[in-house]
Amino acid sequence: MGSGAVAVLVNPRPLCYSGTVMSMAGETLVRRMAGGDRDAFGAFYDRYAPLVYPLIVRIVRDRSDAADVLQDVFWEAWQGAPAYDPARGTPEAWMITRARTRSIDRVRALRRRGETFVPPIDDEIAAAPAEAGGDAAERAEDRGIVRQALQALPPPQREAIELAYYGGLTQTEIAERLKQPLGTVKTRIRLGLERLREVVRRAP
Amino acid sequence: MMGHETFDELAAVYAVGALDGDDLSRFEAHLASGCDHCSTSLRDSDEALARMVLSGTPAVPSPAVKAALLERVAADGRGRRARSRAGWVPWAAATAAAAAIAAMITGGVVASRYEAQLGHMARETAGVRQRLQESEESLRREVEVYRHAVELLRDPATRVVDLRGAGPAPEASARLIWHDKTGGQLFVANLPAAPAGKAYELWTIGSGAPQPAGTFQVDASGRGTHRVEPAASAPAKFAISLEPEGGVPAPTGPIVLASR
Repeated sequence: MGSGAVAVLVNPRPLCYSGTVMSMAGETLVRRMAGGDRDAFGAFYDRYAPLVYPLIVRIVRDRSDAADVLQDVFWEAWQGAPAYDPARGTPEAWMITRARTRSIDRVRALRRRGETFVPPIDDEIAAAPAEAGGDAAERAEDRGIVRQALQALPPPQREAIELAYYGGLTQTEIAERLKQPLGTVKTRIRLGLERLREVVRRAP
Repeated sequence: MMGHETFDELAAVYAVGALDGDDLSRFEAHLASGCDHCSTSLRDSDEALARMVLSGTPAVPSPAVKAALLERVAADGRGRRARSRAGWVPWAAATAAAAAIAAMITGGVVASRYEAQLGHMARETAGVRQRLQESEESLRREVEVYRHAVELLRDPATRVVDLRGAGPAPEASARLIWHDKTGGQLFVANLPAAPAGKAYELWTIGSGAPQPAGTFQVDASGRGTHRVEPAASAPAKFAISLEPEGGVPAPTGPIVLASR
């Protein structure tokens, strides 16, 4: 594996140096990016790249493709910062939705070129990092709740959501793959998503 | 609201990006009609899906990605480094203020550098715009040629005529897609560019004298296309000769390509 494709799993640093861009809320960083602040962009990247990168890798399944997509996604974020509206979602959702869309675009383009599609497998890149104390521990706990909720979904619902969200399959393709009626697939997605939303609403 | 349940389901499938076919158009039309309920629901779903993603383990990508991005951002006109931590000033105002102060202090040295940079950027932008327009224009022409060829090929009465290089251009080759009623489309390859003041002219040859069928040029790679108007009478043969740029009513120059 070339050095350009090496990813290191790390414990994201708690961002607590007061008075610098490092400590700013995501929204503030985006607002400053909109104003052309490059330091804010650097801090924004440091904060969000480790969060969206695993998603991109999971979808495109190739680290050098993933690095390309990651770059596109953050470049779009820089350019799109002036249009960001906090009322329409958190910066996390803003970035993750964008990363997911761009990754799926990439996978679909590859599929159009006739390359075989490999369905996503679970948590390929997940390895338990050392988490310790403070914000990091809190974050891990927070992650745990949603992760548990995901694990607790009835497998057919979880499968349908994952095939769509991570695999980029449409409802029709999922129905074909699972040999289930289209209506069943839709219902599974709705029920699974409703439950996820419920958990997120209640999580701190 | 009667029947909104269907949209709830479509909204969920849309949120995971899996809606397709009629469902997709139906839901997008519904969204476009301004359904607050559905847009709120999509927002909530996006947040929940984001949390699902965040429940995974973070991973840091190669530092090369950040380095490349910072370079791109540094080259971007909108970017600036934060000058002070005193608070956020809109960029335009900050730039204007900085330029004004700098001009006052340094007697315009810095300002003129800004101007030079702005001038440079403006030229660059104009150049890029022009290149874009040119490539758009040439793409449009190319598409027109192909469309015309395909249009012609749909008709069973269309024939494809090969022309072979002759005289001064033995390497040249050409193919003419020809229809007696609607004319044709000519594709030429390996033909040397015509000398200044000259052009290639196509001739249709029937029972009488050769009839002129338009002039054309080839590009640096020796390729050219030419749209041909229908001839007065159905031609049996075609030939191309080198002629004065404006074209002539009867061939005068050497034949460079001819059909059998």
